[in-house]
Amino acid sequence: MVRLSKPSFSPDFFLLCLIATVVGASFIPARGVAVPWVETVADLAIALLFFLHGAKLSRTAILQGAGNWRLHVYVLASTYILFPAIGLAMIALFRSIADGLLLTGLLYLTLLPSTVQSSIAFTAIAGGNVAAAVCSASLSNLIGIILTPLLVGLLMAVDGESSALSWRSVQVIALQLLVPFLVGHMLRPWIGTFIERHKRLLMPIDRGSILLVVYSAFSAAVAGGIWSQVGIVDLSLLLLLSLMMLMIVMGANVGLARLVGLPRADMIVLLFCGSKKSLVSGVPMAGAVFPAAQVGIIILPLMIFHQIQLFLCAALANRFAREGATPQRPQLPRTAAEIEVAAQKLGLTIAKPCMAGVTANLLLLDRHADTLFATGKP
Amino acid sequence: MKQAVEIAAAVRSGQTSAMAVLEQCLAGLAAESGRLVAVTRILADRAWSEAAAVDAVIAAGRDPGPLAGVPYGVKDLFDVRGLPTTAGSSLYADAPPALADADAINRLNAAGAVLVATLNMDEFAYGFATINARHGTTRNPHDLDRLAGGSSGGSAAVVAAGLLPFSLGSDTNGSIRIPASLTGIYGIKPTHGALPMGGVFPFADSFDDIGLFTLSMADMQCLWQVLGGADAQASDPVRVARLGGRFRDNVDPEQIAAMDAIAPDGPLIELPDIARARSAAFLITAAEGGKLHREALSRDAMAFDPATRDRLIAGVLLPDPLYDAAQAFRADYKQRIVAIMADHDVLLAPATPCVAPLIADPRILIDGALSAARTDLGIHSQPISFTGLPSLSVPLRRPGCFPLGLQLIGKAGSEATLFRFAAMLEDKGLTGVTSPTGAYQGDAL
Repeated sequence: MVRLSKPSFSPDFFLLCLIATVVGASFIPARGVAVPWVETVADLAIALLFFLHGAKLSRTAILQGAGNWRLHVYVLASTYILFPAIGLAMIALFRSIADGLLLTGLLYLTLLPSTVQSSIAFTAIAGGNVAAAVCSASLSNLIGIILTPLLVGLLMAVDGESSALSWRSVQVIALQLLVPFLVGHMLRPWIGTFIERHKRLLMPIDRGSILLVVYSAFSAAVAGGIWSQVGIVDLSLLLLLSLMMLMIVMGANVGLARLVGLPRADMIVLLFCGSKKSLVSGVPMAGAVFPAAQVGIIILPLMIFHQIQLFLCAALANRFAREGATPQRPQLPRTAAEIEVAAQKLGLTIAKPCMAGVTANLLLLDRHADTLFATGKP
Repeated sequence: MKQAVEIAAAVRSGQTSAMAVLEQCLAGLAAESGRLVAVTRILADRAWSEAAAVDAVIAAGRDPGPLAGVPYGVKDLFDVRGLPTTAGSSLYADAPPALADADAINRLNAAGAVLVATLNMDEFAYGFATINARHGTTRNPHDLDRLAGGSSGGSAAVVAAGLLPFSLGSDTNGSIRIPASLTGIYGIKPTHGALPMGGVFPFADSFDDIGLFTLSMADMQCLWQVLGGADAQASDPVRVARLGGRFRDNVDPEQIAAMDAIAPDGPLIELPDIARARSAAFLITAAEGGKLHREALSRDAMAFDPATRDRLIAGVLLPDPLYDAAQAFRADYKQRIVAIMADHDVLLAPATPCVAPLIADPRILIDGALSAARTDLGIHSQPISFTGLPSLSVPLRRPGCFPLGLQLIGKAGSEATLFRFAAMLEDKGLTGVTSPTGAYQGDAL
């Protein structure tokens, strides 16, 4: 059972923390001897984060929802084919007017896996197929551990190199991401229950790690002159491109769902799981893959996209919830008086010999209406 | 009665004539149909004329078609040129005569078949029992004290009794599959909209289809071709699954045993929300049936069959939002079923929950309580109609026992796969028609 909080359009506490961290790093960046310490702690935080990811990932959830394999293929295609294609197209289109590293960051976000928690939560609010969402989002994250770095290596070039994925990056990914993830996942039989039970206690570690990486990244970025490189025009353009990207992906997913005749509940899964990008995976992974001085600017588009996807998905989930809300059960006439009134409105007169039979048949239809409205929405 | 393909082969080869076949057939109907209460009109003049035309074509050295001289009957809701289409109701006994034959009749006659009778039904096809106030209750040829099922009960009874080799019926929520199961013959409800509905008195547009009753799968396949049904390639191999959940409740143990024997390794799958699907079908049928007859009910409700009348009035009184909710559920449900069917070619399910009920006590046990056969014999067929998928009722071979059928349910447009699989079951002796004791033995060949 997924427990949900009411979706909100106001920035959440974590976003405020993120903004505060970026502002803090801009004014009080880590300098001098503090830098290697902050970077080491950030590296450890990344490893811890992926350890927790591994421990939280449920293979059972993936296997239980795996029967709906076509849906999962659509979600994965949206996450790892459609998104990167749009990212590459945007780079080609806006190369001349936007900062190169920001566009790199935009492409980077398109290569990331889907979110787990918010995808599932929005699917549940919208009345979608929660079991399938759990499977799809988990599968996307599992595959992303390997596929995202590979796509980064394949599609991105950073710092004048032909590929972002150097041998050093591969080692870092293996040590910081893959090994902790696998260790965490292997230990799941022993620590999984503890982690599930103490989600609230562990959340500060989870989120604190991300904030630490962001602080480390923006400290380096500020030292590299990020705010002289990125202005309000760039940020506005990023906002616009993120919005465009999200609209294109969502439109394509709804179109595909209609084309292949997905049921509404599965269409909602495709819409929400297929259009999300994970900040929780993306920030630490960037820390592992990209040079420290570039991480800040590369994760900036992801941070902006993250908030836009939350706003838009919250609005859509609420709308789906309203549309799919259980309609009020229409009442049938049951007594002789009610039957006569209803019949008169339709220009019918119920002759006396008919009344008993009509009443009995309406009672039967009433029972069928009860059954139709018995669980959830009809 | 010989199979349709055998009769046609004999007529085409000159071994017998269409007139001789018809003579034998009319004699059988005259002798036997009265006690079955299955026939509403014998169309002797028309039949003689059609049989003569077939013989004339053969005499001229031409081929009258794959159904040369094969006699058949139609449920009393098909337009027959020159006759009122009554839909089993005295309300339309004096209606203006139909100006043309129904499309299906035209196709059969073009293939050489000879129309000989119109057949009894529940008034306006609203029932699973063929209890008709005007014509009487159709009897089951296996036991005249039992129902033949409905609403196409007359069409099933004449074929099961060996009086006609095949007949046409209509199936909205089970009106072919139920009588086929209770009388022990083959009956098909095609993919919704697959067979021509022109000239057929409607009941509930969302689910109405015409279909066939036959004595063998060879006849079924031949007639399917003649009626212009889809001719898609049959799946090979056929992936068979057994329906579980509600389809294993309210069922005869022999039906379960048969399904398990047919597909011992087939997965047992559950269709979601099956009770809701049946209820939605029930509500949509009531609303559409009521709407169709609303004007006539406001004009002269007392001219209706009392049992049908009260059901139709109740349908008229259903609030529109309830109908809309049921249709919305149906639209979503059909898509869910398509996804489930992607991994299977044939689903096995019971056609009826029990053998034919007694006419003196037309009630059946559903969930441990007695309920009206007229409304509840469709417990297993109605949810399938709701999906629009094709369903073939096949008779279990069980000599000495009252008949029982299974549904073979396929993907939309996959009748060829159902036929192929049913023919295989027939060849293995798992299914097949068992003639009732004392069935008409006249033989025109």
